[in-house]
Amino acid sequence: MSGTTNPAAPLLRILGLWRGRSLWLLLGLLVSLAALTASVALMYSAGTMVAVGSGVAITAGVAGIAVMLRVFGLSRIALRYLERLATHAATFRALADLRIWFFRGLARSSAGGLGFRRAGDLLSRLVSDVEALDGLYLRILIPLAGAILLLPLLALAAGRVDWGLAVILCVLFALTAFVLPGLAARRTLAEGENLATATAALRTAAADALSGLREVRAFGAEGRVAAAIQAREARLFETQRRIALRGATAQAAAFLLGQAAILAILIFAGTGPAAATGLIFLALAAFEAIAILPRAGVLAGHSAAAAARIIEAAEAPVPYPDPAIPAKPPTRSALRLEGVSFRWQDDRDAVLDGMTLDIPHGSRVAILGPSGAGKSTIAALLLKVAAPQEGRITLGGTDLADLSAHDVRDRISHLSQATHLFDDTIRNNLRIGRPDADDAAIWAALDQAAIGETVRNLPHGLNSWVGEGGHRFSGGQGRRLALARTLLSPAPILILDEPATGLDAATERAFLETLNASTQGRTIILIAHRLTGVEKLDRIWRLSAGRAIAAAA
Amino acid sequence: MLMDEPGQATKHWLRAQSALGRRAALPSIAATLIGIVCAITQAWCIAIILAWALRADGTAPSLAPFIGFALLGLARAGLNFLAERAALDAGAAGRRRLRGEALTRMLHAGPAIFRTQHSGALTAAVIDRIEALDGLFARWIPAAAVALIGPLIVLLAVAAVDWGAALVLAVLGMLVPLGMALAGLGAAAASGRQFLALTRLQARFLDRVRGIATIVLANRAGDEAAALARSADELRRRTMRVLRVAFLSSAVLDCAIAAAVIILAIREWGIISGIDAGRLDIALFTLLLVPEFFAPLRAFSAAYQDRMHAAGAAGALAQLPKLPEPATALAQPIRTVPAHGVTIAFEQVGFTWDAARGPALSGVNFRVPAGETMVLLGPSGAGKSTILEILLGFIRPETGRVTINGAPIESIVPEALSRMTGWIGQKPILFSGTLEENLRFAKPDATDAEIAKALRNASADGFVAALPQGLATPIGEGGYGLSGGQAQRIAIARAFLKNAPLLLMDEPTAHLDPATEAEVLESLRRLAVGRTVILASHAAAAHSFGGRRLELRDGQAQPARGVA
Repeated sequence: MSGTTNPAAPLLRILGLWRGRSLWLLLGLLVSLAALTASVALMYSAGTMVAVGSGVAITAGVAGIAVMLRVFGLSRIALRYLERLATHAATFRALADLRIWFFRGLARSSAGGLGFRRAGDLLSRLVSDVEALDGLYLRILIPLAGAILLLPLLALAAGRVDWGLAVILCVLFALTAFVLPGLAARRTLAEGENLATATAALRTAAADALSGLREVRAFGAEGRVAAAIQAREARLFETQRRIALRGATAQAAAFLLGQAAILAILIFAGTGPAAATGLIFLALAAFEAIAILPRAGVLAGHSAAAAARIIEAAEAPVPYPDPAIPAKPPTRSALRLEGVSFRWQDDRDAVLDGMTLDIPHGSRVAILGPSGAGKSTIAALLLKVAAPQEGRITLGGTDLADLSAHDVRDRISHLSQATHLFDDTIRNNLRIGRPDADDAAIWAALDQAAIGETVRNLPHGLNSWVGEGGHRFSGGQGRRLALARTLLSPAPILILDEPATGLDAATERAFLETLNASTQGRTIILIAHRLTGVEKLDRIWRLSAGRAIAAAA
Repeated sequence: MLMDEPGQATKHWLRAQSALGRRAALPSIAATLIGIVCAITQAWCIAIILAWALRADGTAPSLAPFIGFALLGLARAGLNFLAERAALDAGAAGRRRLRGEALTRMLHAGPAIFRTQHSGALTAAVIDRIEALDGLFARWIPAAAVALIGPLIVLLAVAAVDWGAALVLAVLGMLVPLGMALAGLGAAAASGRQFLALTRLQARFLDRVRGIATIVLANRAGDEAAALARSADELRRRTMRVLRVAFLSSAVLDCAIAAAVIILAIREWGIISGIDAGRLDIALFTLLLVPEFFAPLRAFSAAYQDRMHAAGAAGALAQLPKLPEPATALAQPIRTVPAHGVTIAFEQVGFTWDAARGPALSGVNFRVPAGETMVLLGPSGAGKSTILEILLGFIRPETGRVTINGAPIESIVPEALSRMTGWIGQKPILFSGTLEENLRFAKPDATDAEIAKALRNASADGFVAALPQGLATPIGEGGYGLSGGQAQRIAIARAFLKNAPLLLMDEPTAHLDPATEAEVLESLRRLAVGRTVILASHAAAAHSFGGRRLELRDGQAQPARGVA
């Protein structure tokens, strides 16, 4: 992994993204440092006060110390409150920025490749990587800044007792605050991949067992499946335990360093008793404040690995960049593939091999073929998700390579097998297809997709919530909602990739008949593995060996 | 859509889990409490040494407190480590137990569970939700116990030397929960709201990223990014408004700490300088214990986050179906299963999934003699799958009787039922692992020759031989992608290997193109020979199977046509 060489680099890059919020972040940091100062000063003056009371160093300052005690106490309360507000306000802003930066980057770079080919798990993992950065400011940066502030304070207070003691304390403090967390971060970085692998293995085993419940029952494999899952769980727990125990060891080391510091002060106590008494209270508070840093190191290790992954995903090169000066979008919508060859990866077989197709404006065509024959690849090429390695594709006579992806996608609306239903209302889901659609247009599209009645019967109508991945609806109903969204779009070309998946035979026929009637004047490209016979089509091609063979319409 | 406050069921669940977790957390709690006793003793050592230094009366220092401090320091480091390790183990034990329970429930509930929940959501429940419960067992439960007992121990130590100081601490310590309650919202509510807000933002973000291809291809990336920014902003405004009030209650703890330090420092200074200079050590000891007194309370409020996570996860786990009662199966004598020849009979069978949508089956009668085939026809939702799920043993008929060789299906132990049943569904589930592991799933002790024969019978030998690593090729998630037809052939080979007398098939060719469908049907016909077959199918596949036909509509058998 690229991040292993310098764990800080990706984190610094993320911090760079927050430049626009530096005022808020800085404010939070300053308030937080002030609150920390007040806390240790309170303990320091309390210790000094008692020492002074013993009469060793009676000075006129006693009244002063008593006042200071009250000042520090009150300001500690106020500053802690302000700290919580300021750091949370800053965190919320920074997190929102990070998410939006990531979303825009992903949309630009890898959405076509990643999203088009259904890498839902990979996307979910990237999102949890983004979440792993939630603690970067609050749990790593602020404690680290606190340690940097405390170091000179500790040195100054110790210097009042003995400068040798100051050196010892600084070394112990620096070991705890900077060296231990650094080691923890490096270690975590190395272990992070193991943890991710173990978690993924457990998840796969559980997902297999649950999606294959019928198979498991039919083969009487409940016991075997449960044992397999438990074995993977045990491996995950072992990895977690190893990492956590390492963290606990670091924590114990940090604690012992703190204890060594107190012991050192006690040994020097005879040299300057009053100053040493204050110093004990100061050191206890200071070491307690940095006790979380070894853990922050572990977190930093996780965050650095996560940051490296999301930067890679968000800044990946655009697979099919737009031309520097895009051509004017054509007025007509005829599509033509000329000798197009394409493979997804160099080491894979060609999916399309010298394919030529003509799809005139307003025609209704079907592309048939078994799965894996390249039907969905044609959709990807037409939508400018990927570029053909040979040949060219034209839209209204203009090469797609000369057009911006935006203009191409304005012309083509696409219903894929992976079309996503968002966890939002029906209205908002449909408006993805056409943001300015009014309710009448939405109802019309729902009726065309043969789901209007179902939605009308819902208590909240268009405001009904679709649920995560459309889970409040059956598979067939979800499919029809997605179809309604595609029909709602004003694009002159519709690509329908297996639109009838999840519909039963009768509904499928009804739906295809509606489709015949409702899409007059638009180009329809129907992608399917078989036809039902009710489709009204101008042309039919069968894909075979990377080419399209015309079949009787 | 606001997430509900944790409901009664969730609260009840959490209480039950806490009781179970407390036992596992005992070692961790004990180690932490002993650590607190060590800390108190250390404070005494520090106080003695500092008092000696401050008196500066020329006496030689006693070595004992120095050695005591160092040894106790080592002991505390060890105890902290032990407490943490015990907490880790308690967390792992809790998760292991819950995951085992959840899996058992899901495996027993069978596919009926998919009528209410997605398999993706179930996987998330059994993996992510249960992982999220770690904090409940590893941190919250020990912290809650220590927050009750820890301050009491410190208070006793202070009371032993200075009643007045102990009184001050006790009053201020009691102010903390009181203050939180008076503030109305409490630190609990604060972190709860904050957690909820963040969760909602994360859920929306995850949803948008998962559907990013849909967004980009609809040219809506810019709009959606702006909408995400808007909702994050609005959420921040709302959350901060709540937090401004809620953080006031966290300030109560800060007030108590500051007040304790100030009051005790001034009080002790007054006593020492005016009345009794000799009790310097007591003064220092008392003051040193102030942070120690409040530390468990602070740990408690920090661990509240873990409880919020747990409450969220508990909601999802509480929704899982209860285990079916096993008593009915044992109430009747258990039947043996014949090695060959299975006759199935349905007599007036009725079943309802959801009362609002009417019965899925009502008054269904049919009989399939051993070795014959019955084809179930009808649109989706007509009751075909319900019949198959009764035969798989996932659901029980609510009315009427289902018999296998004359024995009611309820009287047959599930293991025997699954031993006599072969199953082929619409999309076969191939588990991640090698091809061979997937085949052996049907018969773990199959010989190589048996596997080869099953592949040949399923017409799968050709493409398996052509795979890069043959039988050792990894398939399933992250492995080699088999086509639909190839996967179905593997499923058929599995059924050949299992060689069960009853074969249930649910639309086995629904997702195949016509050419592949014809080939797969050929293999299926070969598989059907000599077995009792029940096939749910659309017309095209049904034509190639002879035998009886049952046309279903809305859960009822239609007038027979073409009965053999």
